[in-house]
Amino acid sequence: MSAALATAGLFALAGALFLLSLMPAIVELRLKRDAQALNVIQQYAGDIRHFSFGFRSYASDLLASLERCVASGETATGTLAHGDQYLLLGRADTAQLLPPSASEKTCDFVVVAGTELTVPHGITFVKELYASRQLTGGKNCTYRAILSDDAVRLGRASKVIRWAHAAKSIHAEQDCDLYGRISSEIEIDLQVGCLFQRLHAPRIAFGLPAAQKDSAGALPLVQPTEPISSFIAAGRRLVDGDLEIPAREIVEGSIVTRGGLHIGAGAQILGSVKSNHHLTVDSGAFVAGSLISATTMHIGADCQIGGPVIAEHEIVIESGSRCGTFDRPTTVSAPVIAVEEGVVAFGTIWARHEGHAVAKP
Amino acid sequence: MIYCLFAIVAVISLYTARHYWFTLNRLFGFQRHPYIDTDTADWPQVTILVAAHNEEKVISHILAALMGVNYPPEKMLVVPVNDRSTDKTREIIDRFCQDHPGRIRPFHRTGGKGGKAAALKDAMELVATEVILIFDADYIPGTGLIKQLVAPFFDPEVGGVMGRVVPLNVGTNLLTRLLDLERSGGYQVDQQARMNLHLVPQHGGTVAGVRLSALREIGGWNDDSLTEDTDLTYRLLLHGWKTVYQNRSECYEEVPETWQVRIKQIMRWAKGHNQALASYGLRLLFGKHRATLRERIDGFLLLGVYIMAPVTLLGWLLALGVFYEGIAPLHGVIALLSITAYSAVGNFAAFFEIAAAARLDYTRQRICLLPFLILGFGVSIFSVSRAFVSQLMAPFTGAQFHWDKTERFRTTP
Repeated sequence: MSAALATAGLFALAGALFLLSLMPAIVELRLKRDAQALNVIQQYAGDIRHFSFGFRSYASDLLASLERCVASGETATGTLAHGDQYLLLGRADTAQLLPPSASEKTCDFVVVAGTELTVPHGITFVKELYASRQLTGGKNCTYRAILSDDAVRLGRASKVIRWAHAAKSIHAEQDCDLYGRISSEIEIDLQVGCLFQRLHAPRIAFGLPAAQKDSAGALPLVQPTEPISSFIAAGRRLVDGDLEIPAREIVEGSIVTRGGLHIGAGAQILGSVKSNHHLTVDSGAFVAGSLISATTMHIGADCQIGGPVIAEHEIVIESGSRCGTFDRPTTVSAPVIAVEEGVVAFGTIWARHEGHAVAKP
Repeated sequence: MIYCLFAIVAVISLYTARHYWFTLNRLFGFQRHPYIDTDTADWPQVTILVAAHNEEKVISHILAALMGVNYPPEKMLVVPVNDRSTDKTREIIDRFCQDHPGRIRPFHRTGGKGGKAAALKDAMELVATEVILIFDADYIPGTGLIKQLVAPFFDPEVGGVMGRVVPLNVGTNLLTRLLDLERSGGYQVDQQARMNLHLVPQHGGTVAGVRLSALREIGGWNDDSLTEDTDLTYRLLLHGWKTVYQNRSECYEEVPETWQVRIKQIMRWAKGHNQALASYGLRLLFGKHRATLRERIDGFLLLGVYIMAPVTLLGWLLALGVFYEGIAPLHGVIALLSITAYSAVGNFAAFFEIAAAARLDYTRQRICLLPFLILGFGVSIFSVSRAFVSQLMAPFTGAQFHWDKTERFRTTP
C-alpha cells in the first residue's frame, strides 16, 4: 500500500468516525422527531375548576339517562366512551356502590347520583363521583374526585385525591386530607386536622363554630376606602436592614426591608409590605395592600390583610385573622401554610407542598 | 503575552464555573416561583404596549390573543405602538380598534427617532396605569399570561418582570432548531437560576412588565440604547428595584429563519449589551447603590457575556502566538491535566446547560442536535466580535448606532 493511499484511508476513517458521532444529529435534523414548539397551553388559564369542567363535559352524555333513572327511581350501569364503567343512581341506594361479592369496600364505577347521597363509612371511590344533590360522606372514605351541583360534606378522616368542586359549600370534618384542587362557588369550611393544597371559594373558613361563622369576615377591623390595587402604586420606603414598626403606628405607603420586619400590634400599614427575611405581624395589625416575605411569615391573631399574602417558604396565620374581603378576594400562597381555627380567607389559599388546619393553642 | 493568556483563561474559567453553578442549581436547587400561584386578587389597571414597526404579518395575531386573555377587560388597555409603519399595520390595528371599542387605543407614530425605546418613550403619553406590560408584535400570549405577569407587581420591591420566550417556528430549519435550544438554555436554566439565587434576571423587553413609578424614578426609557431591555434591567437594579423572572409565564415568539437576520439580531444585542457595560459596568461593581454584593458580581458578569466572544478569539490567537514563540504556559503533568480537564469540562459547560434545559422541558430527541450548536457558536462568536470591533471603531469611522428591525417570516397575514 502506498503512503498516499494509506493517508487517504486514514483521513477517510477519521472522517467516517467524525460523521458517525454526528449521525444522531443528522437523523434528528432529517426526521424532525422532536421539532414541535414546546407545549405552551395557550387556552389554559389556571382555573381551579379546569378538571371539574372537563369531567362535567365527559359525563354530560349521562345526564339524560340520569333524569330517567331519577324519574323511575331505578339504577343503571353501562360503559363510557373511554371504557370506564358507570353507575347511575336514581335513588339513594348506596348498596349498589359495592358489588355483593366485594371483599374490599372499593367502588370501581364512575358514580353519577341524581338524588341526595349519603356514603357509608370507609368506601374508596376509584373513579370520579358526580352528585346533582347534596353529598354526605361517611368517615374514612377516599374519593378520587367529586363534582357536586349542591353541597358536599366530607366525613372525618376522609381523603380527596385529585379534586373536588361544589356549586354550594364544601365542609370537611376533622382530619381530612384534601389533595389537589378543592373549590366551591360559595364556601369551604375545614375543621382542625385537615390537610390541604389548593382551596378556592368566595369564603374559606377554618374550624369556626357555626355561631361565629356568620359574623366572620362581615365586619373587617379596618375597612379600606380604596381598592386594594390602588396600594400597588403607593410610594415605598426601602430599608437595608431589619425594621420594627411600633405598635399602633400608622404608616402611609409601602415598606420594603432587605432584612427582617416586625409589625407591632395594632399597627396599620396603608400600602404593601415586603420583607426579605422573616416577617412577623403582631395581633390586630392591618395591612391594606399585599404582605410578602422572601422566607417565612407569622401573622398574629385578629390581623387583617387586604392584598395577596405570599411567602417563599412558610406562612403561619393565627386565629381570628382575615385575608381579603368578600368584595375583594385575594390569594394566600406559600409552599407550607399553617392556619389556625378561626381564620377566614376570601379567594384562594394555595399551599404548594402542604397546608394544615391547626387547633388554636 | 503569557500573562494576558492566563488572564483570559481565568475569565473563561469563571464563566465556565458560572454555567455549571446555574445548571446544577436548576437541576437540584430550590426553585423560586413566588408569585405564580397568585390567581385571585383585586387586579390593578394595566396598559399593554405592543411595539410594532411594519408588522402586518403578525400584528393581528397578538391583538386577537390579547382580546382573549382572562384579565378583567375593564382593567386592561392595549396600546399598539405603531412606529412609522409603511405597510398595512395601521389599517389592521384600526380595524381591531373598531371591533373592540374601548379596549384598544392605538398610538400611531409617524416621525421621530427610530428604535423601540424611542417609540415606547413617545407612547408613554397614553399610559396612566402603574403596571405596564410590553410585548413585541410577533408574540402570542396565552389566556392566563397577563395575570401571571401582573402578579409580581403586588410585591413593592419589584420594578420589572420577565416571562419566558418560547420559539414557535422551531421546525423550520437548522437555524430555528438551534435557536430553540439556545432559548431553552437561556431561559429554562440561566434566567431561572438567577431568579433562584437572588441574582440579576434580565428584563427582555418583551413578555415583560415594568412599574410606572420605577420607570419614572430611573428616568424613563433610554432611547439612546440599542437594547432598551438590558438598559432597563441595570437602571432598575442601581435604584434598588428587582427584576423577577417567571419561568412558567411562557409566550410564543418567532425566531429568525435566516442566518443573515440572526447575525443582524445578535450584533444589535451585542452592541446594546456592550453599551450597557460601558455605561453601568464600573458603577455597578464599585458604585454606591442598593444592589447586593452577589447582584453586583452577577450583574457585571452578565454585562460581560458579549465581550467574551472577542476575548475568546483573542485567547485563541494568543495561544497560537505562545505556541509558535515556543513558550510553555504550564509544565509537564500540570499542563496535561489542565488541558484535559478543560477539554472534558470547560468546553461543554454551555452544552451541558442546554442539555439540562431540554431535560427540564421534558423534550428528548432535540438534544441530538447538540453537536450542531458548535455551528451557531461559531457564527455568534465572529458576529459578536465584529459588532465589538465596529463599536470600537465607531468614534474614528463616524458610524452611528442604528436600530435594525428583526424581519418576520410568518406567512398568514
